[in-house]
Amino acid sequence: MVSQRRRRASAYRWGWGSRLLAAVLIAIGFAFSGAAGALAYFFPAIVTAFQVTGHTINRSAQSPPVQAGTQGLSTADPSQAASERPFTVLLLGSDNDAKFGGTVLTQSMILTRINPATKQVTMLSIARDLYVPLSSGGTDKIDKAYSAGLANAAVTTVENNFHVHIDHYAWIGLLGLVKLIDKLGGIDVVATHPVLDDFYPADLSGNNPYLYQRVAVLPGPQHMGGIQALEYVRSRHGDLRSDFGRSQRQQQVLLAIRTKAKLLGISDLPDISDAMANDFNTDMSITDVASLLPLASAVALETVHQVILLPPYTSSATIGNQDVLLPNWDLILPEVHKYFPAT
Amino acid sequence: MRRPLALIVLLALMAAFAFGVNRFFAARKTTIASAAAPTEVHPEVALPGTLYLAQRGDIYRLSNGTFTDLHLPAGIGTWMQPAVVPGTPDIVAVARTAAYSDVYLIDGSNGKILRQLSHNKTATVTIQLWHWMFWPHVAADGNTMVVSYDAPKSGQSYEIDFAVWQGSVSQKPATQQWTQPYSFTGGDVQPLPLPGGRLLYAKYQITGGNVFSQLAMQTNALGDIVYLTSAAADCAQPAVSPDGGTLAMICASGTGLQSTSLVVAPLQGTKLGTAHAVVAKCMCGAPAWSADGSGLGYLAPADATGHFQLWWIAGASTPRPAAPKQVTTGLDFDATSPPAWAP
Repeated sequence: MVSQRRRRASAYRWGWGSRLLAAVLIAIGFAFSGAAGALAYFFPAIVTAFQVTGHTINRSAQSPPVQAGTQGLSTADPSQAASERPFTVLLLGSDNDAKFGGTVLTQSMILTRINPATKQVTMLSIARDLYVPLSSGGTDKIDKAYSAGLANAAVTTVENNFHVHIDHYAWIGLLGLVKLIDKLGGIDVVATHPVLDDFYPADLSGNNPYLYQRVAVLPGPQHMGGIQALEYVRSRHGDLRSDFGRSQRQQQVLLAIRTKAKLLGISDLPDISDAMANDFNTDMSITDVASLLPLASAVALETVHQVILLPPYTSSATIGNQDVLLPNWDLILPEVHKYFPAT
Repeated sequence: MRRPLALIVLLALMAAFAFGVNRFFAARKTTIASAAAPTEVHPEVALPGTLYLAQRGDIYRLSNGTFTDLHLPAGIGTWMQPAVVPGTPDIVAVARTAAYSDVYLIDGSNGKILRQLSHNKTATVTIQLWHWMFWPHVAADGNTMVVSYDAPKSGQSYEIDFAVWQGSVSQKPATQQWTQPYSFTGGDVQPLPLPGGRLLYAKYQITGGNVFSQLAMQTNALGDIVYLTSAAADCAQPAVSPDGGTLAMICASGTGLQSTSLVVAPLQGTKLGTAHAVVAKCMCGAPAWSADGSGLGYLAPADATGHFQLWWIAGASTPRPAAPKQVTTGLDFDATSPPAWAP
């Protein structure tokens, strides 16, 4: 009898302990299983995020970060992008087909100054035909900087010529732009004028990237899909302003993307990352990008300052067999340094 | 025996929880609702007369509160820009392909194609020699017709601009060039034939690096131009009320941003009275007066999808127009195709 009582008492005491332990284990099990469920959902996005962010570039020795307060403006080192201090990002857009044997030009270069404290953004388009000394050596159109040395060369070339410090870069390929806009369900754009081009490159599909296609984007408000938006921002042959007109349209579409992207939430990350996987990269860290997302939605369109360096900031010329734009640095630099601190 | 069973049940519950968390995030993805076919919806406002509207490559007739699909053959192209042929049940409309567009005469009562009026794909394989033709409109005589046509052009040059051409429904839509476009601007668009043989259209120009449009009027082919609006107002898409006394237009004010205004002004001959915005800071486009002149229809997005819906302003030509009413929901009208309004 005594031995039975002991066994019962032991079982009773052990039962409470084991029950508590079991409850904790079960709770942990459910927490892990929930985390596993979330991880399975976000895993592709996480992998892509690590692939496309943190592409460190070699900073130019000639353009150290500017000290805060320079010309009334301040800048930040790369790790401070999430802070309240202003910083500069070079946005690069380029084709990513095999037309140029694996190297790509930048169709678009937009120097962007972001002030998180005031929620103000300045976008300065750099014409692709601007004839400048490249960081990789020699003098050529600035769009060739990227093909010579990818983002590092593009950033350094802009820094050296414009005497500004660039905190970060972000590169997007044409297909990435198309896929992003389609994932957003299209964007609404007020097309500024009829964009007609009989020599638009038909290089996004097919085997011959040198073929042409006809493009006609009609003017006025409209809903654009990815391909149509790309035609709108990429065409330049039928525009008297050539690259300048295209730069204005690129800024316009960027703002339209930003307007539509405000609708997205964290659950949309896998789809967006899937769209951008091979067509986007940046030297920003994941935390930098994450900190920029709320800022992007907080910026009002009316506060976005758009700058395009029209003549007399540049003048047309022909060098060799190519049409180029010659920079008038005496005019350009003071204008640029109104918005971007000088180094 | 009971413990292994409990363990199995617990593991199953954890797996279900993981799956549930995964699906929770998936369910919170932003869904951009796809547009319904017009035939699946009923307009929320009763409108006078019969309207023809374009959506996703097809043209629909709205009459007595019911949409009817004209079932135009998709193999010909993307159908858009319908316009009534006064005094007949017919309409003219554009069928657009990737590299050219043509104007067709269609029986508006049943969608039967009566005749192909233009042949802009020529026998040559050189696509630069093919043509675009948009915005056909037929004069009150039911025969005189105006279109925007990308001619003349060489096929060897990057220059391609729309000029307004006049022709007829009974013969060819473009037999006489009426306007001389500014080079490399996109040209002259959205022509309207007015009583007395006058022509009203939107003329795109570029000055000081800025592109803008002005409403222009001519009384004869390649004749003098009278501008009704200023460059700063940046107005296009003219629509004249049936009595000829009021002009509706879309003005962007040269902002280059993402908004327009729907503006009306009294029109007397070549004089435009004081203009006022009936809808400001919108993505409004494609204004069209009802055939009885009782109000003004236009297209604008109503929600985050960015898809354009039909809106209606009763008494838009009066000093105190009614507030805009949304006529359709969940559709996706082509905002570059103004509604055509028959009695």
